[in-house]
Amino acid sequence: MISVEGVSKTFPGGVRALKGVTLSVGLQEVVCLVGPSGSGKSTLLRCVNALERVDEGVITVDGIRLDHDAKNLHQVRSEVGMVFQSFNLFPHLTALGNLSLPQKVVRRRSASEAEEVGRALLKRVGLADKENAYPAELSGGQKQRVAIARALAMNPRIMLFDEPTSALDPEMIKEVLEVMRDLAREGMTMMVATHEMGFAREVARRVAFMDQGEVLEVAPPEQFFGRPSSPRAQAFLERLL
Amino acid sequence: MYQWTWSQIPQYFPLFLAAAGRTLLISGWSILGGTALGVVVGLLRVMPSRAARTVAGIYVETMRNVPLMLILYMVYFGLGYIVQLPPLWAGVVSLSVFEAAYVAEILRAGLESIEKGQGEAAQALGMTWTQTMRHILLPQTFRRILPPLTGQFVSLIKDSSLASLVSYQELMLVGRQVNSAIFRPFEVFLTIGLLYFILCFGLSLYSRHLEKGLMRRDQR
Repeated sequence: MISVEGVSKTFPGGVRALKGVTLSVGLQEVVCLVGPSGSGKSTLLRCVNALERVDEGVITVDGIRLDHDAKNLHQVRSEVGMVFQSFNLFPHLTALGNLSLPQKVVRRRSASEAEEVGRALLKRVGLADKENAYPAELSGGQKQRVAIARALAMNPRIMLFDEPTSALDPEMIKEVLEVMRDLAREGMTMMVATHEMGFAREVARRVAFMDQGEVLEVAPPEQFFGRPSSPRAQAFLERLL
Repeated sequence: MYQWTWSQIPQYFPLFLAAAGRTLLISGWSILGGTALGVVVGLLRVMPSRAARTVAGIYVETMRNVPLMLILYMVYFGLGYIVQLPPLWAGVVSLSVFEAAYVAEILRAGLESIEKGQGEAAQALGMTWTQTMRHILLPQTFRRILPPLTGQFVSLIKDSSLASLVSYQELMLVGRQVNSAIFRPFEVFLTIGLLYFILCFGLSLYSRHLEKGLMRRDQR
């Protein structure tokens, strides 16, 4: 579903965020990206839906090669849902408005269809009673669940999660992970940058360890957490435990 | 010493009110024109296309660095060789192109003050640049820039007094004419000043009311 081959990215200012990254994510596979802050996890995710341009290498998403032809970019992005660390809900719209507006604008659905889809998804993430609430009236965990529902409303074939629980209070992390776990169980193809090792261990089919812009190790979770092969991954895991 | 004599003022009230009406007319049209053009220029200022940004940048800097009076003379006298605009429309065109530069800058600053994640979230959902602007960024920006925009419109109302220079019968010119008839400068110009104050302060109050209404609706 996602193939990243030899991708490099240098930010203006000279920071080399990605150095020849190669990684693939299969249909219905969940791959967790772990590694220290600044290791390139977010940049990699942002490249996969072309929020960042790559300098070198090729990314193919669902058979579409991202080559910055504006037309296929919008197509790819509407197939790929993205959840951000900082939620990025639209503050001028209600929870339901956040879900229905993109459907109307991008998918050209009618208002009633968009709202129907929106209500069903709010119910699915346990927020049926919050459809008229504005983002400012929601807790962090509720915001992130609305954000996940908003992405799902577009019927994406792939979901990207960029540290979805890092901005949350501990007691709210669970409710968000629960929604993500359900999604994985239903067979969604997912790429998740996370610091939640418990989640990675339980849900990921494979874990990719990143450090300083490189993918150093890709392994099933039991292998990665049990006996990581690279010294830097060993050091990283030791620091966590 | 100055002898205050207010008794001669009331007979000119109808004249003053009509003049205030014309000040309102020229300002109203200029606010519309300046906002419309300003939004276009402001959007060009933030477009992905570098050429568009440059053109809009040159426009803004040009307008901000020449006197409004010069623009007014160019439109009324210079443009007069091609098409002679009546004083009202010469004033509206000058004020609009002048204020548009300021409106554009207010809009650009407002757009840039919206968190980067808003645009990214919209793009990640598959929205085009235009859709992102229209549905996500502009609605949030307009709420935010209402106060500075109001300040700009208030200064536009005051700037409209320059239209007296091309003989548009607005408040300032009528004031001057009445004063040359009765030689009561303080009484005349205080009256004129009060009328300007009512127009400008009224606009500020209305905008504050609008702002409160938006905030209540948003509950932000």
